[in-house]
Amino acid sequence: MSIAQNKIKKSMENIQATEEMKQRTLRYLEAQQTRRSRSFFQQRPHMAIGYVMAAICVFLLAGTGGYAVYSKPVSYISIDVNPSIELAVNRFDRVVSAKGYNADGEDILQHVPLENISYLQAIDRLLKDAYYSRYLNRDSQLVVTVVSEHSDTMLEQISANAAFQALDTATYSSDTACMAEAHQHEMSFGKYRAYLELSQYDGSITVEDCHGMTIGEIQNRIRTCQGHSGEGSSEKRQGQHHNGHSGSHGHN
Amino acid sequence: MKSTEDVNRVIDAYADMVRRICFVHLKNRHDTEDVFQNVYMKYLLYEGSFESNEHEKAWFVRVTINACTDWLRALSRRKWVPLDALAEEGASMDDSSREVLEAVLKLPEKYRDVIYLFYYEEYPAVEIAKILGKKENTIYTWLSRAKELLRQKLGGEWS
Repeated sequence: MSIAQNKIKKSMENIQATEEMKQRTLRYLEAQQTRRSRSFFQQRPHMAIGYVMAAICVFLLAGTGGYAVYSKPVSYISIDVNPSIELAVNRFDRVVSAKGYNADGEDILQHVPLENISYLQAIDRLLKDAYYSRYLNRDSQLVVTVVSEHSDTMLEQISANAAFQALDTATYSSDTACMAEAHQHEMSFGKYRAYLELSQYDGSITVEDCHGMTIGEIQNRIRTCQGHSGEGSSEKRQGQHHNGHSGSHGHN
Repeated sequence: MKSTEDVNRVIDAYADMVRRICFVHLKNRHDTEDVFQNVYMKYLLYEGSFESNEHEKAWFVRVTINACTDWLRALSRRKWVPLDALAEEGASMDDSSREVLEAVLKLPEKYRDVIYLFYYEEYPAVEIAKILGKKENTIYTWLSRAKELLRQKLGGEWS
């Protein structure tokens, strides 16, 4: 247990519910049981208003321009080996833009068109491309990170790709706040997520350091730190997700 | 609706934890007791089932945090630093514990939750993310910033 954890535990262990508080709560619950006969919407008028507003929103959305809906990205995929590439995906699962976040990533996009096809086709095309395959050697790791409300489903579909399964891979989910921070540092959000995780173990690491490292090198540093940190929480976190990709950590 | 037996069991199991979460959010014992009762009322009316004790505990964490937030919002109060609560509890503490608690209570509300859940309840970041409905990266960021604020207040061991 760390010094910090000891101090927090010691300072809070005397904050407890008193017996009087527990007894008053039990009496309160008994009294409230008799007051529950009103209908759902009588008790929750704000929810009734919510349903009406939702119906109006659906109606208005159906009437807006189709192109705006088509071109608007709703999900993002960061694909990192050393080339770092981000795909913006619309609600119909099609790639509406692709951007390289380092020189190798920009170079790949000059040779492999990834826009206006489904994101699954884009990833399949990328992994089977001979030019891209130069980066997929025995020592490299392919990391796919998704920002989406449906990240679990997307990662499952990506992981089902045979070419993907043949590689040393890891999958993660992230969020728009971290994506914005990543872009401020001119870094893909997949690599930035890895930097954030590494920084939990190694306070001296900087974004600039990670700019000069491949994603595989960052991942190796994380594993090394986890192996030697002795913190129970990190061991537990890693173990929970090695065999799946529905959470933030994926399979290796 | 849950049985009286269930209610008694979860009061024994989680009352201290619910009380501590209220402590890091609310101003005083009066507010704490109201929210405390609301949390158990929500449990009484909850019609779902729990897959495990861990699932049930995480439900109580999430519902208590939400209840505290709703309470503050409903009363149109500012999200103050709940140092009055510390004044009520502080008499029984040594100086070191009081200093730590004061620093924790001065953190922004979302940081207080992650510090409590990470250090006291020993949840890993991925579990905190699920409980709070946030991405794991967000929890890492909040933890880093909270630790940095505590380090500024309390010294270098909070790395």
